Amino acid sequence: MTVVDTTQRSEPVQRAVVATANSGPAVAGWMPLAGQLSSSLLALILPISLIVFWQWSGTNGVIFGGALPTPDRVWTAWVNWAFGTPTFGLNPYVGTWLQNVVFSAERVAKGFLVAIAAGVPLGIAIGWSRLFAKIVDPTIQWLRPVPITAWLPISIAIFGIRDFGAIFLITLGAFYPIVINATQGARAVDKNWIRAAQMMGASQTSTLWRVVLPAAMPSIFTGLRIGLGIAWTAVIVAEMVAVKSGLGYVLWDAYYVGRMDIVLADMVSIGLLGYLSDRLIVALSGWLLTWHRLQSFNQ
Amino acid sequence: MSAVDFAGVSKTFSGKTVVHALADVDLRVAEGEFVALLGPSGCGKSTLLNILAGFERLTTGTVRFDGRTISKPGPDRGVVFQEASLLPWLNVWDNVVFGPKVQGVARAIYEPKAEAILKIVGLEGFKQALPVQLSGGMRQRVGIARVLVMEPRALLMDEPFGALDAQTRLSMQQLLLDVWQKLKTTVLFVTHDIDEAILLADRVCVMSARPGRISREIPITLPRPRSIDDLTNPAFIQFKAAIMAEMRGPHGAH
Repeated sequence: MTVVDTTQRSEPVQRAVVATANSGPAVAGWMPLAGQLSSSLLALILPISLIVFWQWSGTNGVIFGGALPTPDRVWTAWVNWAFGTPTFGLNPYVGTWLQNVVFSAERVAKGFLVAIAAGVPLGIAIGWSRLFAKIVDPTIQWLRPVPITAWLPISIAIFGIRDFGAIFLITLGAFYPIVINATQGARAVDKNWIRAAQMMGASQTSTLWRVVLPAAMPSIFTGLRIGLGIAWTAVIVAEMVAVKSGLGYVLWDAYYVGRMDIVLADMVSIGLLGYLSDRLIVALSGWLLTWHRLQSFNQ
Repeated sequence: MSAVDFAGVSKTFSGKTVVHALADVDLRVAEGEFVALLGPSGCGKSTLLNILAGFERLTTGTVRFDGRTISKPGPDRGVVFQEASLLPWLNVWDNVVFGPKVQGVARAIYEPKAEAILKIVGLEGFKQALPVQLSGGMRQRVGIARVLVMEPRALLMDEPFGALDAQTRLSMQQLLLDVWQKLKTTVLFVTHDIDEAILLADRVCVMSARPGRISREIPITLPRPRSIDDLTNPAFIQFKAAIMAEMRGPHGAH
């Protein structure tokens, strides 16, 4: 209270001057200012503050007591990991970043595509045909609660320590949200759209392709976004256990040898890849689903 | 032979509460005749139209279209829905050519037709627009155009102008009068608007509710071609008085 009082007493003259000088546009002047500070800039405030705090607390040993490598050390580790020349020294990670990124990204892409190829048609079929739903849907719902991590042993037992095991887990993880959202989308199709198509002479197949599938697209894309997130989780888990390459493998390996700087650089890399691939899906849906976006804004 | 022949048609919706939507309806529509089904909501007039469209099955009776019983929807009976029900991901052009396209009609045949019809409904400048970018009246013009392009044997219109504002509704009624004058297609037109029924139809079938049945048929002998100016014609007012009396009368729903 005292502080506030002092300020109020010492500043009235200054404030009066400011008020006179800007009187009219003073309030309005704020809006363009906030506008200039673009949203991307606003978005950076929090992460930069966190990094600065992390660096500061690490350097001073305030919170993590130096156990957690500071951002500058993580950065150095990443630069070395990404651009260093491989040697036969004690650091096996030098220059292998891109290679591991490609390993992981390729597995995610493969698993995700298989999940789409299986999940979308299956979901549409479940949503479209009651008979098909009765036959297939219960099984999917019974299998779904089994987490993909629980599938690890059986996956290794069947596929061994090979790529296929990782891809299997990714496919499985991404499949559930994709199939469920595709089902939902196919079920929620406006009855009159289907009636209109049939009235115009569309066959069952034609109705599925030209009405049900496009109508379910917004819902399908929701499934794709969730599925892709799970695909990245799955690839890391699978690579920690079931294969010997990729970001997940490096993450666990680096932890074992106490290279926490690599662990953190690895985490950031995974986050970045996940974020970029999600943006890719969002951009694709924005391009494909203009009608849906416009509709949402108009309503 | 009549184009449309409902004989003893009943429709019962079974469920928790059984609803007798239609009871013993007889209705014949001649080739090229414009018939309006007029009645309060819940009188089964849309159900009658949906049965003819092939969207719903009847419980008892028979419905024939061009002498054949109806098994499923088809492009010979073009339906115009109340909310247009366009496919929202297709632009105006793609909505209009949807029918011919899925039927496998050659592009060279349907394209000039679609162009001409878009011109008639005044949308030639909006081919690339998405339905969401159009007004309600414009959407319904597309709804009519996509049906006309198929050159159906009959038009089934389910309160097509019910959701439009009064002014747009008038211009759409005029448009429909003009189009019908040229094509003389058989039309079954469902509405709850007395003025609309008289203005458009050759015959108004007044329906009563619970159970839905046709309580009276009134031929509208106003000369053709008609226009929305007829709405203030003394003869028009007489028809209106007669229909209002019928709807209020012992058979009425109120």
